[in-house]
Amino acid sequence: MAFALLPIAAGARAHEIGTTRISFTLHQTQTWSAEVITPPTPLLNRLEAAAGQPLSSAPDVDALRTGLDGFRRDIARKIEVKFDGVASPVAVSLAWSGESADATRPLAVVLHAYGPVPAGARNVTWRYRLVYSTYPVVFSSEGMQGSETQWLEADTQSPPVSVLADRRSHTTLEILAQYLALGFRHIVPEGLDHILFVLGIVLLTTELKPVLVQVTAFTVAHSVTLGLTMYGIVSLSPPIVEPLIALSVGYVAIENVVVGRITLWRPAVVFGFGLLHGMGFADALRELRLPEAEVLPALVSFNLGIELAQLVIIAAAFLTVAIWHRDKPWYRPRFVLPASAAIAATALFWTVRRIFP
Amino acid sequence: MRSLAFAAAVLLATARAQAHDFWIEPSTFHPAPGAMVSVGLRVGQNFIGDPVPRLSAFIAAFSVRQNDKDRDVVGSDHIDPAGFLPVDGNATATISYASTGAYIELPPGEFEDYLRVYGLDDVIASRAARGERNKLGRERFYRYAKALITGRDPSAGVTKPVGLAYEIVPNDDPTRRFAPFRGHVLYHGEPLANALVVALLHGRPSVNLETHSDPQGAITLPLPCPGIWLIKSVHMVRASFFASEDWDSFWASLTVEIPNQNPS
Repeated sequence: MAFALLPIAAGARAHEIGTTRISFTLHQTQTWSAEVITPPTPLLNRLEAAAGQPLSSAPDVDALRTGLDGFRRDIARKIEVKFDGVASPVAVSLAWSGESADATRPLAVVLHAYGPVPAGARNVTWRYRLVYSTYPVVFSSEGMQGSETQWLEADTQSPPVSVLADRRSHTTLEILAQYLALGFRHIVPEGLDHILFVLGIVLLTTELKPVLVQVTAFTVAHSVTLGLTMYGIVSLSPPIVEPLIALSVGYVAIENVVVGRITLWRPAVVFGFGLLHGMGFADALRELRLPEAEVLPALVSFNLGIELAQLVIIAAAFLTVAIWHRDKPWYRPRFVLPASAAIAATALFWTVRRIFP
Repeated sequence: MRSLAFAAAVLLATARAQAHDFWIEPSTFHPAPGAMVSVGLRVGQNFIGDPVPRLSAFIAAFSVRQNDKDRDVVGSDHIDPAGFLPVDGNATATISYASTGAYIELPPGEFEDYLRVYGLDDVIASRAARGERNKLGRERFYRYAKALITGRDPSAGVTKPVGLAYEIVPNDDPTRRFAPFRGHVLYHGEPLANALVVALLHGRPSVNLETHSDPQGAITLPLPCPGIWLIKSVHMVRASFFASEDWDSFWASLTVEIPNQNPS
C-alpha cells in the first residue's frame, strides 16, 4: 500500500495539483527508471518555447509524437537524478498512454527515463524541470515492499530518498497513529477557532457534568457530519461553513457573557454547531485525497485525535485556572467575562474576514 | 498609465520566478449556439499551462454570467477539464473562477525575485523598511480568473465586475473588434493605482506587453495583433495580525480572443 507524504502534512503547497504523475524505481541491476505520465501539448510547447521555435497549436497525435521525439535529448536534460548529490546520466524514450477518449488527442505521453545507479549510493533526489504544477513522485525499489511518495512543487528538487530503506507497507496501526496525530494537530495548535470554541464551553461553567454534556453533544455531532461529508452524503462549501464556524465560536462566548448559566437549549445549540465543525474537519481530511482503503481508519483515528485534543484543552483549562479559582468571587467578573468577550470579539472578526477575505 | 514596454525576448527572468500564473482556457472562445464548452484551468508561465483538474475543496466560486444571469460551472472532482457549460451564444459570456487561499513559503531570495518579476516593488520596500529581507516569504495566494466567450451580440455585462476580490474589467466588450484593450483594475471593487498589468499572446511566448494602472485604476494595452490574449496582474497586501501568513496575494487574469474583424 502506498503511504503518501501528504501535501497538507508537509505544510506548504505552492501550486495547484496538475495531472503529471511519476513513478521512480530502483532496480537490482544497479539502474533506475522513471515513468513520467504528463500532458503532451504543454510539454511540447514548453520545449518549443525554450528552443525559440514557434509553438504548435492544437497538435494532433502525429505532430506530438514527431515533435516530442525531436526533443528527447532536451527532455533528458530537464530531468535531474542525483545520487548523493552527483548527477546520473539520463536517457529518455517515449510512449503513449491508452486512456484518451479521443484517439487523435492522447491524454498523456509517457516518458521512460533511465540511467545507472553508482555503486554504494545511499540517497537519490529527483527534479523535473518541465512542469509548473504540483505532482507526486512515487519512489520504490525492486525486490522491496512498499513505496514512498513525495509531492513536489513544480520544478523543485525532491528531498533525498534513501536507496536502501525498506519501504514496506505501513500497518493499520501505523496509519491509525498517523491520522491520530493529524487530527490532534488540526486542533492543537492549528485550529485556533476550535480551541476557542472548546474554551467557550469550559468558561460557561466549572461543573464537570455540564461540560461533559456539551462536549459529548459536540463530539457526536461533528463525528456524524465528518463521516457523512467524507462519504459525500452531505456537502456544504467552505465559504459557507468557515464563517458559520467562526460565528458559532462568537455565539458561545456571547452567551457566556449574556446568559451566564447553562440553559436547556445550550447542549442542543452546541450539537448544531458541532455539525458545522464536522464539515470543517472533513474539508481538512478531504484535501488529503486519501486512498479508498484508508478512508475508514483515517476517519476514525482523525476523529479520535480531535477528541484527544479537546480533552487536553479542557484539562489544561481546568488544571491551570478553573480548579483553583472557580470559587473565588472575582472568577466570573474578572476572568470569565473578559475572556469570553475577547473570544467573542476575535470570532466576530474572523466571521467578517471569512465572509470578505 | 505610467509605463509601457513591448518585449520581444523570451522571458528568461520570468522563468526563474517560483510563482506561476493561473488562467481559464475554454475549449473554444467562439462556440456555436447551444454548444457545450469545456472549461480548463491552467497553471504555468508564458501562457503555456499545465492542466489543473477540478478540486472542490479549493474552489470558492466557479460560475458563468450569460445574459446577466449567473450559474455555476459544473464538473467532477479530479477531472480535467474542470468544468462544462452550455452556452446559448446570444451574447458574450463571462466565466469566472475564485480559489480558496493556498499557503506557500519561499526562501527570502526566491521570494524577493518573484516580487520583483511581478512588479510588487512596494512589498519589497515594506519588507526592507521592517528589516524583513532575510525572513521567509510566507504567503497565502488567491486566484481570480476570468474568460470571455464570444457570443452573437456584444454584452455590456462584461464591463461590470463579477465581484472577484481582484479583477480586470474591460471598458467595452473586447471580443467585438481588434482594438487596444482598455479596462480597469479593481481590488475589492475599488480602482487600484499603479498595478503592473501584463498581456501575453497565446502561442507566441515572446510577446509581452506591460503597463501600470493610473490613479483611477485605468489601463490601456495597445495589443499588436488579434489572437487569444492573457491579461494578468498580481496584487499583494500584508496579512492581518491573526493570520498565519505574512502576505496575502491576489492573482487576477482575463483570457479573451481578440478578433481580426467583427464576429458574424
